[in-house]
Amino acid sequence: MQHSPGFGVICGTSKQDVVLTSMERELQRASVELGKLNPAPYFISYTVYDQQVSFVVGMNGSLVTSTTGRKRMADVIMRVGAPTLDNAHGDARPSAIITETLPFDDDSDAIAHALWRLTYSEYRKASSAFLNVQTKAQVKAKEEDLSADFSKETAQIHADYEEVAPAPEQKEMEVFVRRFSGAFRKYPYIYSSGVMVTGEKTLQRFVSSEGGKIVMPETVVRVVIQAGTRAEDGMELMRVETLQADSMSKFPSAAEIDATLEKMAKDLKALREAPTAEPYDGPALLSGRASGVFFHEVLGHRLEGQRQRGDEEGQTFTKKLNQPVLPEFLSVTDDPTLRSLNGTRLAGWYKYDDEGVPAAKVEVIKNGILRNFLMSRMPIAGFDHSNGHGRSQAGFMPVGRQGNLIVTSTHTAKDSELRLKLLDEVKKQGKPYGLYFEDIQGGFTLTQRSAPQAFQVLPVMVWRVYADGRPDELVRGVDIVGTPLAAMNRILVTGNTSSVFNGVCGAESGGVAVSAAAPAILFSEIEVQKRAHSNDRPPILPPPGYEHQAKIPAQSGGQQ
Amino acid sequence: MKTILKRLTLLSALLLSITVAFAADAKSAQDGDDPVLRDLRTEMARSKAQLRLENMSTPYFIDYRVMDIDDWEADAALGGVRGETRSRIRFLLVQVRLGDYKQDNSSTRGEGAMEVVPIDSDEHAFRFQVWNATDKAYKQAVEALTDKQARLKQLTIDHPVDDFARAEAVQSLQPVVTLKVEREPWLKMLRDASGLYTQNPKVQFLAAALSFKVVNRYYVNSEGTVVRSGEELYHIGVSGTAQAEDGMRLDRSTAFTATSLRDLPKVEELKDSTTKMLATLEQLREAPLADEDYHGPVLISADSASTIFSSLIGDSLLGIKPELGQNARVRGQFASSYKTRVLPEFLTLVDDPTLTTIQGTALLGHYEVDDEGVKAQTVPLVEKGMLVNYLLGRQPIRDFAFSNGHGRANLPVSWPAPALGNLVVRSSDGVAPEELKKKLIAICNERGLEYGYYVGTMMGPRIPRLLYRVWAKDGHEELVRGGLFGDLDQRSMRSNIIAAGSDQYVDNELMPVPHSVVAPSILFDDLEVKRQTSNKDKLPEYPAPETAKR
Repeated sequence: MQHSPGFGVICGTSKQDVVLTSMERELQRASVELGKLNPAPYFISYTVYDQQVSFVVGMNGSLVTSTTGRKRMADVIMRVGAPTLDNAHGDARPSAIITETLPFDDDSDAIAHALWRLTYSEYRKASSAFLNVQTKAQVKAKEEDLSADFSKETAQIHADYEEVAPAPEQKEMEVFVRRFSGAFRKYPYIYSSGVMVTGEKTLQRFVSSEGGKIVMPETVVRVVIQAGTRAEDGMELMRVETLQADSMSKFPSAAEIDATLEKMAKDLKALREAPTAEPYDGPALLSGRASGVFFHEVLGHRLEGQRQRGDEEGQTFTKKLNQPVLPEFLSVTDDPTLRSLNGTRLAGWYKYDDEGVPAAKVEVIKNGILRNFLMSRMPIAGFDHSNGHGRSQAGFMPVGRQGNLIVTSTHTAKDSELRLKLLDEVKKQGKPYGLYFEDIQGGFTLTQRSAPQAFQVLPVMVWRVYADGRPDELVRGVDIVGTPLAAMNRILVTGNTSSVFNGVCGAESGGVAVSAAAPAILFSEIEVQKRAHSNDRPPILPPPGYEHQAKIPAQSGGQQ
Repeated sequence: MKTILKRLTLLSALLLSITVAFAADAKSAQDGDDPVLRDLRTEMARSKAQLRLENMSTPYFIDYRVMDIDDWEADAALGGVRGETRSRIRFLLVQVRLGDYKQDNSSTRGEGAMEVVPIDSDEHAFRFQVWNATDKAYKQAVEALTDKQARLKQLTIDHPVDDFARAEAVQSLQPVVTLKVEREPWLKMLRDASGLYTQNPKVQFLAAALSFKVVNRYYVNSEGTVVRSGEELYHIGVSGTAQAEDGMRLDRSTAFTATSLRDLPKVEELKDSTTKMLATLEQLREAPLADEDYHGPVLISADSASTIFSSLIGDSLLGIKPELGQNARVRGQFASSYKTRVLPEFLTLVDDPTLTTIQGTALLGHYEVDDEGVKAQTVPLVEKGMLVNYLLGRQPIRDFAFSNGHGRANLPVSWPAPALGNLVVRSSDGVAPEELKKKLIAICNERGLEYGYYVGTMMGPRIPRLLYRVWAKDGHEELVRGGLFGDLDQRSMRSNIIAAGSDQYVDNELMPVPHSVVAPSILFDDLEVKRQTSNKDKLPEYPAPETAKR
């Protein structure tokens, strides 16, 4: 099962690419045939993804599941009407896409036949949606943003069949999860843990009626390591670490991973014993990694182009163009063309976006002033063109998304001095302590008008840094809450080195790989609230292997 | 050389059957070697002895159920393979009951916790998951019991029924099964069958899919029951679609289900079967539409009858206790039908999971012990048309205090519930199917009808897929399309069936649990057949691409 002959084509050249040829031929036929109808499509694209996916999970040193599969997915996107108004307008956007699996044998007849069926089915969806859109445009009040529905872009041709790293061997993945998930066995207070590896090798082919033709290969291996425990009061405590590379050989060394696992276990032990935090409003320091997640959630999502348009969107930044939204020492770019930063591989790297537009570096905020948005081919007032950020998972309509969000600063202090600066601020405000956020697990942000324009991020390692010189104290059970504009203007100073957070971000166009890089950031004020948690007790009996201990010893674990 | 080999195989087969036969009596010696059972028993002993929160009682019953599924699925369309997945996973379900058999924490949703458990034999990792799930299940049970006691104070129960049936401890160990399959020949078979779309340009889509699954089930409970069973489930099917000139969508499919790879069709067989199916699809395309109204006799083939019995009667035979506070005997249509007539007097229904074959056809609903560790029993359900029993797991219902060995867990993972095994419908005076056709024509003549209907195959309980007019004047059959039953329901099953055949069709189904429905042809005196109005689409906006293969 591990060797999939269907993927041989990845090493081929475009001359031998039966799939691409069938796609072009069917696209041509569809354009001519459907062009005779009224309403007629003015844009059609086919995207075919060859995917080989393996998924392996280990727990406590043992394999739990091992799955491997391959498939070929086709997305047909069709726009009926005209760029000024088409079937993808507003709520009708999903009418522009249809998805199905195709045969992955390179049988041109089978592929052509399947694409034909998909194309006429999509035409039915798109043409009936277009009639609704036209009617609505006549009966509803004029929209605030009168931009067209689809931007004009130069068609790109780029066929990259260069060999990428092979998909990881199933056996290799199995060995990995057994090896590293076993590390948690020696910590009886870790009640749930697991190591998951996903290996994905993809070849993406794109052709459009505008003459675009793009072929891009990619291999990604992702690891999620998770460990959890529960405090005596029932609070669930969780540590998660992720790794991402284009092959398993590029992962950190076994010794480094072991050290990470040990740190996770130690953190959990400390968290179990840590007091719960109280609601707090005051100075706080976010580590670089925590800042990256913070910027991605709080700022990044609100800079996505389509959020500036439409009556339901909160439009936090829409009218702030050319106005300050951050302190002037901060700039934010999104640069998917960057492959790595300070030696760390960036997950949000790509050459062309999912609408076939070349990836471009976008200076979104320059010296604190909002200059641009992350644009797909959906125009917004003042921005008629895509800047290569139209991204989606297979099966979803692309929208403006983040790639590599990079925060830079001109007002910095040495990282080692930030703690002192935090204490200065604490003393200045007369608070007993400040907070240091070492790690943030993730978060969410609400951008729709129907909800408050708030964000919530979920920190996991939070320390009280006392003004009176007591040692720092780990606390648990808090969430950072606030509203974006207010929070961003309370930044005092940043560190002088950047950390990278790689992850998969989910939104309306599905899951896409992203990075966020930022220096550590000192805020004059951050608000935290108590986190809701379950009140289940820790397990009644000791775990297997620790039967003879009456109660789970909180002090055991670590090196044995 | 050949004879020696044969003897050796015979000998090992003999040894195997001896092992199996004695397995039931030699439990401890046998399952000591099975790491899954060993680890389940270790955790069971620990939980039984020590699992208890302060001021709370210990469980009176605990069970552990492991479903180990090894699965290969592949599908092809239009001559090319388009998806393939191989996966192996083991689920663990832990049930903890607090209180007593009379009244415990149980609800109608199943009680307990689910986890995945390692597929390696690794005692620590395996027991860790069992330990974790047991702890969760116990805590849930504590809360559920308190909630339930509070709710019961608000309710008046007319007919109190115990929450859990006592059952004797059973030990039964069957051999573990494994999935060994050479992929390429099967993939080729899918390609070959689905590639037959080129035979007819009017076929819009043709797909072939297979699902090969082996499932090993392990069950241990605190009453001393230990069961291990293995099943192999193989399925391969082909389905095609076309449109008639008026836009009506037409679907046809052919499928094979077996419990051994040997019993699946060879490539030529599957291709023949597909070609025949495509021929009926073409006949359907050209067939006239069913008339808008028809009231008259309808002859149902044994194949179609098995579908109808399964969907109209099958579910109603399950003895599922209603929600707390509802006083009905069971959920479903037969709640108040106990000891009343539900079918004509000449029909008898038995569910018999102990049957392995019927007329040489292997039955998918065969098992020795159910998923609650109760031995499979033959259950007469309908005698001379009268409902005399329900299919039961260990959840009692009014007048039925014990399981009859029909508590089964759906794949891939679920709590056990009453389910069909081998449901066999028999007629006390069955006649040859040709006689039924004569009878159909006779009724038509009597009532001055030009034709009666014959149903070859069904799609669900209401839509005849192959429907024929049987002309009264000369008995010839004419295929029509777009028919729909207007009034085929439980009432017509009770009072409208006037004769049944001596033939039997075995319908082997994998979902929701492997089961079989065996039924004869049946003749309805008077049914309404209407014309479907809903499934018309436009014809494709432009023609299919040319293919070099035609």
